[in-house]
Amino acid sequence: MNFFDANTWTGRWPFAFLPAHTPRTLTAHLRRHGIRRAFVSPLDAVFAPAPGPANRELLRTTRGMTALVPVPVINPALANWREELAVCAVDPRVRAVRVLPNYHNFRLRARVMHEFAQELQRRRLRLIVQVRLIDERHEFHAVHLKGVPVADLDRFLLQHPTSRILACGLTRTELFALAAKHSHLLADLSFVEWHDTVRHVLARVSAQQLVFGSHTPFFITAASGAKLAASGLSAPIIRPIASGNLAKFLGG
Amino acid sequence: MRAIDVHTHPMLREDHRGRTGAAQLLARARAHGIEHVVALGDVLAHGRIPSAAQIRRINDDTAWLTARHRGFVTGFCYLNPTLGERAVRREVERCVARGFRGIKLEIANNARDACMTPVMADAERYGLVVLQHAWSMTKIRQRSYHTDPADAATLARRFPNVRIIMAHLTGCGVRGVLAVKACDNLVIDTSGAAPEEGIVEFAVAELGAERVLYGSDAPIRDFGVALARITGACLDPATKKKILRDNARALLRLP
Repeated sequence: MNFFDANTWTGRWPFAFLPAHTPRTLTAHLRRHGIRRAFVSPLDAVFAPAPGPANRELLRTTRGMTALVPVPVINPALANWREELAVCAVDPRVRAVRVLPNYHNFRLRARVMHEFAQELQRRRLRLIVQVRLIDERHEFHAVHLKGVPVADLDRFLLQHPTSRILACGLTRTELFALAAKHSHLLADLSFVEWHDTVRHVLARVSAQQLVFGSHTPFFITAASGAKLAASGLSAPIIRPIASGNLAKFLGG
Repeated sequence: MRAIDVHTHPMLREDHRGRTGAAQLLARARAHGIEHVVALGDVLAHGRIPSAAQIRRINDDTAWLTARHRGFVTGFCYLNPTLGERAVRREVERCVARGFRGIKLEIANNARDACMTPVMADAERYGLVVLQHAWSMTKIRQRSYHTDPADAATLARRFPNVRIIMAHLTGCGVRGVLAVKACDNLVIDTSGAAPEEGIVEFAVAELGAERVLYGSDAPIRDFGVALARITGACLDPATKKKILRDNARALLRLP
């Protein structure tokens, strides 16, 4: 199967024994699992006081690597977000940006998010909301974070009905709570799991709203692939989830 | 690669999964190369503290499954230790007579509580394996009734002649693995949460390949994903085989 991955990361995560991928090692790793293209964001942007240096490094080190679509992290809570967005958008490979509200101390319902969404639309950039990076029960003991509240995402989606928005890291119940109400919501499957995951989800969510996300290096890449590969569903059903929907998200 | 799954709930009301649904789940297990499963009962059906009657009904369902799928399903007797010694003994005797080979404990109480004594005494008397639910309580403030890996280690030390499976490797985490390292009568199953990278390899490095067992927690989890936690880990084929099949086969004394 040919996967287009919505959710991969380079760099080191300090709280678990995870591989610290460079763009080169990540590309090789993903290729071994049939992932030909992937959105990639820098872990260094998560805890840094500002994401700029990590974004610059990501754009520099992924140059010429066609398998990786660099997705800079923008922090709308910082005064320089317009400037940072402008700098990143100069690179024609940048088609989407990622926000991490729970790590960067802002809410999706914050006033600035309206301006931010408008600016993304003006620049024809897509928005990815990272709902969580880690199962909250397993966060480092000194880190007190919860996932992005479903109510906030719900309200944000209502306020921006014409923009396609990708949410990465929704749980199964969160996905069920949002997907039927918001047809412009796309969600990756990284945190979604149940017996026969894909069949189970397709009973309640349109296949057009689902994309593959491995959440490498946090999760075992092969395990994420197994949700689709072991589903037993036919290629016309699986292919859009594996790759087609994410390609459309970028292009349409 | 063939596997034995030591952690399943083939009937689960939360999944609207009764006897027909259980048959479908077991068929999917077979399709994934799973040659035997341990059925632990619908531990979510009646909340944290099920009554004696509710426990009996759950175990009756498991007994039905083991009879219907003879040779493919091993039953573990679900217990609520807080019901007391008499109720525990009666239910264990009933389940042993029906061929159950283990005891399943959830979150009625913490594994370090005194009410565990008759449970463990019966486990030793009948040679039953005890599968104890566990999760790191670092972020979950429920330790009065929810077992942390450190509590599972206490249980294992108090009852060295009972073989214990501590459930949910991923939920127990690195601290959990280290907490139980010195307990030779305790093994860990690989179920729990999302398929987090590196933890299976860590458990094997610290405990040895013989003390890690494949478990899915299906239908709460996906067989394909659960298996890929092992097949996709950075381990040699012999180690994967032990985790997927050989360790459980020896523990449950399967042919």
